[in-house]
Amino acid sequence: MATYSVGQARRARAARIRSNRPLRDRLANTGAFILLIILAIIWIIPLLWTIDTAFKPEGETTIVPLTWFSAHFNVDAFVKTINSTSLPTWYFNSFITSAIITILTVILSSMAAFALSRVPFRGRGILFWIILAGIMIPGTVLIVPLFTEMQSFGLVDTWWGIILPQIASPIAVFIFKQFFDGIPHELEEAAIMDGASRWRVYWQIWMPLSRAAIAAVAIFTFVISWNNFIWPFIVITGNDMMTIPVGLATVQTSYGIRYAQIMASAILACLPVLIVFIFFQRQIVQGIAGTGLKE
Amino acid sequence: MIPEKHGALEELAAKMRAGRISRRAFLERSVALGLSSSAALTLLEACASGGPSASGIPTGTHLVYWNLFGGGDGVRMVQMQDDFQKAHPEINLEAITLAWGEPYYTKLAMAAAGGRPPDVAISHMTRMPPFAQGDLLDPFDLNALAKYDITASDFLAPIWQRGHINGQLYAVPLDTHPFVMYYNTEIAKKAGLLDASGNLLPINGPDAFINALKKAQQVTGGYGLAFAINGDVTNWRVFYSLYSQLGGQVLSPDGKQLVIDDNKALQALSFMDDLTQKSKVAPATIDYGGAIALFASGKCGFFWQGEWEVTTFQTANTPFNMVPFPNIFGGGQCQADSHTFVLPRQASVDPARREASYLFISSLLKDSFVWAHGGHIPAYLPIATSQEYKNLKPQSNYAGVAANVVVDPTAWFSGSGSEFESVVSAPIQASFQGQLTPQQALAQLKASVQKLLNTPSPV
Amino acid sequence: MSDISIQEQAAKAKAQTGDVLARTRANRWRVDLAGYGFLLPFLIAYALFLIWPAILMLRMSFFNWSLDGHGTTDFLGLANYGEVLSDPSFWQALWNTIVFTVISTPALVIISFILALLVNRAIPAKGVFRTIFFAPFIIPVSVVTIIWSWLYEPGFGLINGTLAEIGIQNGPNWLTQPGLAMIAIVILTVWWTVGFNFVLYLSGMQQISRDLYDAASIDGAGGWARTRWITIPLLGRITLMIVILQIIASLQVFGQIYLLTAGGPNFSTRPVIQYIYESGFSTFRVGFASAMSFIFFILVAVISAVWFSILQRQQRGNN
Repeated sequence: MATYSVGQARRARAARIRSNRPLRDRLANTGAFILLIILAIIWIIPLLWTIDTAFKPEGETTIVPLTWFSAHFNVDAFVKTINSTSLPTWYFNSFITSAIITILTVILSSMAAFALSRVPFRGRGILFWIILAGIMIPGTVLIVPLFTEMQSFGLVDTWWGIILPQIASPIAVFIFKQFFDGIPHELEEAAIMDGASRWRVYWQIWMPLSRAAIAAVAIFTFVISWNNFIWPFIVITGNDMMTIPVGLATVQTSYGIRYAQIMASAILACLPVLIVFIFFQRQIVQGIAGTGLKE
Repeated sequence: MIPEKHGALEELAAKMRAGRISRRAFLERSVALGLSSSAALTLLEACASGGPSASGIPTGTHLVYWNLFGGGDGVRMVQMQDDFQKAHPEINLEAITLAWGEPYYTKLAMAAAGGRPPDVAISHMTRMPPFAQGDLLDPFDLNALAKYDITASDFLAPIWQRGHINGQLYAVPLDTHPFVMYYNTEIAKKAGLLDASGNLLPINGPDAFINALKKAQQVTGGYGLAFAINGDVTNWRVFYSLYSQLGGQVLSPDGKQLVIDDNKALQALSFMDDLTQKSKVAPATIDYGGAIALFASGKCGFFWQGEWEVTTFQTANTPFNMVPFPNIFGGGQCQADSHTFVLPRQASVDPARREASYLFISSLLKDSFVWAHGGHIPAYLPIATSQEYKNLKPQSNYAGVAANVVVDPTAWFSGSGSEFESVVSAPIQASFQGQLTPQQALAQLKASVQKLLNTPSPV
Repeated sequence: MSDISIQEQAAKAKAQTGDVLARTRANRWRVDLAGYGFLLPFLIAYALFLIWPAILMLRMSFFNWSLDGHGTTDFLGLANYGEVLSDPSFWQALWNTIVFTVISTPALVIISFILALLVNRAIPAKGVFRTIFFAPFIIPVSVVTIIWSWLYEPGFGLINGTLAEIGIQNGPNWLTQPGLAMIAIVILTVWWTVGFNFVLYLSGMQQISRDLYDAASIDGAGGWARTRWITIPLLGRITLMIVILQIIASLQVFGQIYLLTAGGPNFSTRPVIQYIYESGFSTFRVGFASAMSFIFFILVAVISAVWFSILQRQQRGNN
């Protein structure tokens, strides 16, 4: 069959197999689906309680026994949180800082990981361990010297004061490196043979292939930087520079129990991140199926 | 000039001082109000921005103020801040609310050590000593304070004294917030614990108290009393109140020696053990929120906590009243702390800002009737003794305890939210929950405090 | 598109050129330059904001350094280190940390793997499942602990309340029984953070070609066999990464324990990081806390290195 390519033959065969998938596999899929539904229900119950509480009147959030239903569901808690706080300003600060942190982290760490994975330079091994060691340092105590350092740079109470200490992420480097190590060498060797510089290889071959890894790292970085409390709390003082966790902490840690407001503020705080996740998770799916050896 | 126009002119003058209207606008409007143009010009000279204002503080002075009040307290604090800003437009108040808890003090310490602290800040009275001894605070100038109606006679002697370190005043108290008892009026009535006018009958001694709780328990079918145990400092507050009623001390006045009276401590711990383990009138494994929920829903008759939960139960429409923490052992003490104003140490003091700080503190103290709504006892006696405050129920019911409260022992490691409170609460919790006997709990408590005493002080 | 696959093309190319480029001396420098060039931006940020503060922290550990700026010249030599190592509270905290790590790491790795396997199948509504399992990760720790302290509330909490409905009257005291509290914390942690590993595994699984599974099917391999002989080995690198990251993260646990049990009951759940935090921020003893941090860092590094070599050997064996 001279007109058939090897690839076509393989694809045809696969298609035949898929359509004749044994009953056993179909049953397994159904079983998996049911199991997933059960797990998903268990997983979602605490979240549902959060949402349920946010819409209750404050006086009903501490009734014993706990009830899901209320006769007086309302949006008071949300309105109160929005009115009594500088939520829009905090959203803005959080978004700017988290977005910049995410972008810079992805760029810096993927470049570093590319070098560690693909460029056989001297000192590569030691540098990898030095970078990995960074994950093992307990960050809590670093805050004190870091603050002094930011003071001497004059970056206290600035966006860059929030951003800069968070862009060097050894975890991101590690994740990228592991993904890169899994991609075969043939791809870039073909390109290098064609005369491409390493930078072009990085930019035009690697980055597109690593969409899944980029999406994963971007999501984590965004979530973690968004929820970071202690560093922005220490380095920021002005009301107009506060990020969401810092600002909302005053709602969430006040005397007196105000569960509806706490939950409402939590939902308002998490919404942007949820949207970011939903957008990025499509990227993970669309991440190249297969190892890039498409035919 | 007729009064309304006088008022309008005052307002214009204030705006002028705050730099909010131009000279030309001022002239035009004051003439429109009926002032002759020459009089208007004279007034303008006097009010031109940068000149002295009614308070004598230059217009446009910036005042930075840190506090840790969110929630209901936050609302009241904001109101007092607004009252101040309205009365003194010449001062540009920048009030920053930070999260309550440990990070607040870390941040305050680092800011003061690093040289860019706020002009005035809130601090718990019990957290102030290490700050003062660590050179992070400036002492108050008593003469300057007196100019703003803040003198020793405006406060109860014990509270005023507490703000002093080495003879200098470092903290001006805003309030005292004691550990109190809440009770459900309907349950207490059904249990026969109220007198004719609906007040709690006097209960004398530990046995009588347990009996009263048992009666309440019969009414609720659940518990007689609830208070936070799991992971909470309430453990310490209960113990300390009861132990102090017996006349016990924990540390020597210089904060260097452990002076716990074992017998008295065991007496207190045994009574506490009775509550949760023997008579089982109170739940043993409940946390802060759970105890509130129980009381709010009428599942227990009595509730022990700081007074700050008053608005919580008002919101939940629980029928309740508040009284001082029960005097079970006779001394009448209860644990408390105070919120105070402190002056973080400035690298170089700006006299205008320092003056504005004093004015600010004075204004808030005079306005602290607003603050009292949250349950706190105003420290400023002109407010605390006012009829207005006395009419505020149930908040004023326990105001009398202010003179007799006990605060956490003075030591560098002590104070609200400190390591001290954490290491003493843990064995007490274990005793409440039956994992340790009172004797074992006491032994662990003493060992932990001794360990802290042996630790080299970082201040 | 040519008849020959890229694979075959590249193999030919390799045979022709080899890695000759990298071998010449002039090119050695070029290679080094390229390597460091790519690394430089990261290294600068890393040195400035992680290494330098870490060095400062190390310096603080030799003094009676206080948060209020005092004691910076009060040289103690190794006294802080001696104090840490002879402090029973430190050893208890270390024990708690290790217990937590030993329980939570397998749970977080295995459960996330199973979830990824399930979601990776040919089932509907994948996106919904992905979102549900990942969503808790988005929630900040303060809210997570508020939610779970209500779930765990003895008596009327959702968990014990449900147990009562099905007949188990006196439900366990989740947060106040010394042995049980750690389990309760692990359950919370799994719910909260399994999404991280789950997404990583899912990304890795996406990279495995369907053809491999289909080929195995033809050869008669069942579902479990396909997982055992294709999925697991091909995810070896990802698993190594997840396990190492998880061990390190578990060793550094802090927020959820601090907020849920305050390290109790009676310090039976207090992890090392909490003790460091309390020493430094509550009692102002930054020097002491720094010494503890450094000792702990060494421990974490040793544990991670041991696991890294074990797993790497295993993975090489698979290949």
